[in-house]
Amino acid sequence: MTGDSSGSAASWVEHLRHGGTTPWLAWADRTTPVAAPTLPGAQQLELLRRINLARGSAVPDPALADRVLATTAAGRGKADLPLVGLPRSGFGPAPVDPATVGAHELLRVASVLVADDLVALGADPVCTTWARPWRRRFRLVGDPVLATGLREHLRALGRPEGGPRPHVVALGAPLDELLARTWTQRCFEHGSKPWAEWLRFWRERDQLPARVDLAESVARWHPRRPLVRVVTDLDRLPRELGVRSLPSSLARVPGADQAELARRVAAVVGLRVPAAERPALMRTLQRRIPDSGVAPVGVPDRERDWVASSAARMTRHLTRAGYPVVGDLADLAPRSAPATVTGADDEQVLDLAIRMVVDPAWRTERQVGQ
Amino acid sequence: MSRKVLLHVGCPKTGTSYLQDVLFRNQSLLREHDILYPADRFDAHFLAALDLMTLPWGGIETEAVGAWDRLAAEVREWHGTSIISHEIFARATPTQVRRALDSLGDAEVHLVLSARDLVRQVPAEWQENVKHRSHITYSRFLETIRDPARESRIGSWFWAVQEVPDILERWGSSLPPERVHLVTLPPSGSDRGELWRRFERTFGLGDLPLDLTAERENPSLGVPETSLLRTINERVTSIIAPPDYRPLVREVLAHQTLSRGVASARLGLPPDAHAWARDLSRSWTAVLAERGYDVVGSLDDLLGPEPGTFADPDTTAADELLAPALDAISALLVEGARLRAVEERLHEELREAREERDHARATPSYRVRRKVVTTLEDSPAGRGTLDAYRRAKGRLRG
Repeated sequence: MTGDSSGSAASWVEHLRHGGTTPWLAWADRTTPVAAPTLPGAQQLELLRRINLARGSAVPDPALADRVLATTAAGRGKADLPLVGLPRSGFGPAPVDPATVGAHELLRVASVLVADDLVALGADPVCTTWARPWRRRFRLVGDPVLATGLREHLRALGRPEGGPRPHVVALGAPLDELLARTWTQRCFEHGSKPWAEWLRFWRERDQLPARVDLAESVARWHPRRPLVRVVTDLDRLPRELGVRSLPSSLARVPGADQAELARRVAAVVGLRVPAAERPALMRTLQRRIPDSGVAPVGVPDRERDWVASSAARMTRHLTRAGYPVVGDLADLAPRSAPATVTGADDEQVLDLAIRMVVDPAWRTERQVGQ
Repeated sequence: MSRKVLLHVGCPKTGTSYLQDVLFRNQSLLREHDILYPADRFDAHFLAALDLMTLPWGGIETEAVGAWDRLAAEVREWHGTSIISHEIFARATPTQVRRALDSLGDAEVHLVLSARDLVRQVPAEWQENVKHRSHITYSRFLETIRDPARESRIGSWFWAVQEVPDILERWGSSLPPERVHLVTLPPSGSDRGELWRRFERTFGLGDLPLDLTAERENPSLGVPETSLLRTINERVTSIIAPPDYRPLVREVLAHQTLSRGVASARLGLPPDAHAWARDLSRSWTAVLAERGYDVVGSLDDLLGPEPGTFADPDTTAADELLAPALDAISALLVEGARLRAVEERLHEELREAREERDHARATPSYRVRRKVVTTLEDSPAGRGTLDAYRRAKGRLRG
């Protein structure tokens, strides 16, 4: 192809800007007289085409299209890829058919769009009320997904965490689930390594992450033994916190696709706002991210022996420490069936990201505090 | 005075750390001569590059929020010449280049690219990868970068920051060729001051009494040392997080210990890769000559040296690794001892602080008050009373 092909590429970009969904190789319009600008990369163009497909018959949104085309792919991946069939200088990355660009590359762009939307939205206000003087003082450690939800819920009830001589309440769970929840919550805080790498990091060290190791988490607060509760029976948790009941939704664990998208978004948000503002924004994302029905991450078979021995060791430490247990320490043993799917695949994550770019409901619905 | 920006965008491993260190340490003197090097810390322009290119970098990126816009604003406000320099700008995409150039306002922008021959750059880049946690073997690295599809992350990054004609096309296509300055690195064995003279000429630093003491460099490693480091990476990359790897492995081991092995064989290219690199370099220099850039040095510098004896880092014998391995163990023990001393000192400070606190509390009235508070805290009614008391006290104080 020659100069015609550049014009063709420019007209294809215009086609995409106006909601078109024709793939590049099927694009045959060489008649539209459009000046050839600097073309975005194949990643941006293919993502826009996928967004248009997801938008269906909705009115074209050139502003959104321009945003997609101008968005930089985050992180160290491929450079912006040129389109196959266009004249080239012989330098730079090899040209590609945009339809063959993998979901992983498209996600590098899509995660920036979601992150920018999140930053523009800002953090949800935190719901608080005056602290009840007669409240039971507590300090939560352990299961970070549940602990985060509980802190917000209880603060809204006038029962903030902390205070003089608090009960240290360690939220236990089967260790495989505790690991999955800890990684998931990290994704919704400041990001993390990918799930498999993160597990490998701890397995090869033969250590547990700080929030997973209940004995260590409790010891960090130097409590007197009677003021500690290791809770494995969540039905009895409300009493330990001085309330009658707790909503079951607090223990909901985000799906693997949600966590993976959050992990990528957190990295970009880290480049957009000061470090102190990131947790509230990521918490906002955690509350608002659409549910796609994908299961949470699971521990793969190769890590199960290590998880089982770590659970046994943690149980021994807690038993030796003599902390009061609400439930049964045997419940800390891993119990999930070996996971066949141990994480989200990139296509699932991309689908979720595109859904969030296309449908602003997650940003426009009013949410307060919890 | 006319406003001018000298934008130095690469390449890595071309003496950039030394240049940036000299510019950083001589900021005041440069200002006196109307030259701005706007940096409140040594890596300020690195952070600006991370920000411009949305590049997470092992957690450091959280310090880069808004860094490019701040840098560009300082440059726009400066009345004279400004210098921006970091080698990873070389990787910017056309969209990022446009944003960068647009944000510099109406100043006369000059693009500077320092470049070294591929024969030396390829081994240097492998070493750099090894110093950044990679345990890819040298032969696999060479295969990876010679893959025309550039599918891998390593290959993609390598060419983005080393393919000189492409970098100049991305960054320089909107500038007249006389404002694109290609500084070539002198061949091996040249006078050590020659590269600095070329930088001086390009950046207009020639008549300034700069302090040129080398405080910060990115030293290279010998073959057995790099081989050892790669082997260490195989063991530790998955269990040492980047914030720990940087000070312990890259700084203590690589820069402060293993780089001292100056007698070790230097890494080069195997014969077939050498021929490939020189052929590629020839094709580059032909294209660069046609583009009419201002070449500081000679395009022939980019062809690289003749083939020499090749020492393969993938087959380094165990006895060659022994000496650097012992050096590494002893350096880490010394570092361990230093950190233990720091820990001891902190424990001591904490103990003293606790003693002072206990001393301050050791009065009968404090003991009585403490007893009252602990008793009250044991019942809801007592806690309510305490809260009411504390609120009232807070109000009185307020």
